[in-house]
Amino acid sequence: MKKIIILPLIAVAGIFAGCGTNAHYVQTGGRESIVSLGQINDQDFISAASAATSDLLASGVLDRVKNPPAVLAMSRIVNNTGQQIDIDLLTKKIRVGLLQSGKAVTTTTFGLGGQAEDPLAKGIQQQQEFMNDQKTTRLPDFTLSGKIIETKANAGDTSQSTYSFQLSLTDNQGLAVWEGEKQITKQGTRSSVGF
Amino acid sequence: MKTKLAGLFAVVLMVAGCHNPMNSVENAQKSGQRNMVSDQRVVMDMGLNRSVSVVGLNTAMTPGGVLKVQAELLNTTKSFHRFSYQFEWFDLNGMLVNNVVSPVVADQIEGGESKFISAIAPNPACKDFRLKLLEGH
Repeated sequence: MKKIIILPLIAVAGIFAGCGTNAHYVQTGGRESIVSLGQINDQDFISAASAATSDLLASGVLDRVKNPPAVLAMSRIVNNTGQQIDIDLLTKKIRVGLLQSGKAVTTTTFGLGGQAEDPLAKGIQQQQEFMNDQKTTRLPDFTLSGKIIETKANAGDTSQSTYSFQLSLTDNQGLAVWEGEKQITKQGTRSSVGF
Repeated sequence: MKTKLAGLFAVVLMVAGCHNPMNSVENAQKSGQRNMVSDQRVVMDMGLNRSVSVVGLNTAMTPGGVLKVQAELLNTTKSFHRFSYQFEWFDLNGMLVNNVVSPVVADQIEGGESKFISAIAPNPACKDFRLKLLEGH
């Protein structure tokens, strides 16, 4: 009797174990996303960018410029984590959010070390200035800089990773007029699907 | 049999006791006045509605003329609970505004805790909102 019950059970368990999950689409950053320990996930970048953008909009600092919308230039964002990160995963979302708000636009012809993000746009701008014989370039009102820091802790099998996304908005007089920090902590023994 | 049941009961108690309900205290004479807004609700998950009960919604305008919404949540149970939420924003025509500032946010609430969650509209054109609450994993 026992054998009759146990054998189908083992068969069913075997089927489930062998099946896995078929590839399917999930919402980027949605609740079905994979949560990794010791790694920054898409939803972490989305969360940090969203928090920074919301905080910036709520502060009203972008509304204090003489000629709105404010012009923003991207400065250095230091990656102090153990993983290789494309910083655009964070900054692009902030830029899109600020542009959609109508409160700020980002310059693509001003960059660190004189390097433009869009060299063609810079060339056209310079050509236009040469043709009109006057400077038309609007200097940025603000620059955005920051740092991403990782701290790790372990207790037995349990690991914990905290990622601090620190951002500063500096005006053209060199004053940090807005600063924000978003910390994301993940804890567990292994990575999982869904949060 | 009795021994097994007693053991199981002890384990259940230990797990339940991992997160204790919360006590809190606050000033009784409030200086700030919340601009409460009337709401309409659709409750499909009664369990979630007990663990993450929406007490009320209030709104304010930021200095830049952007709508800010705050929701007060209360865990009416004694157990810790994970949930996620998302704000959706609508313009004057009732059209959903796609944006990057309203992601799905993973959150947690202690037993008996009252907590606030807030969001800011992606632009000044957003006039209406919807808060979605989901059970956590």
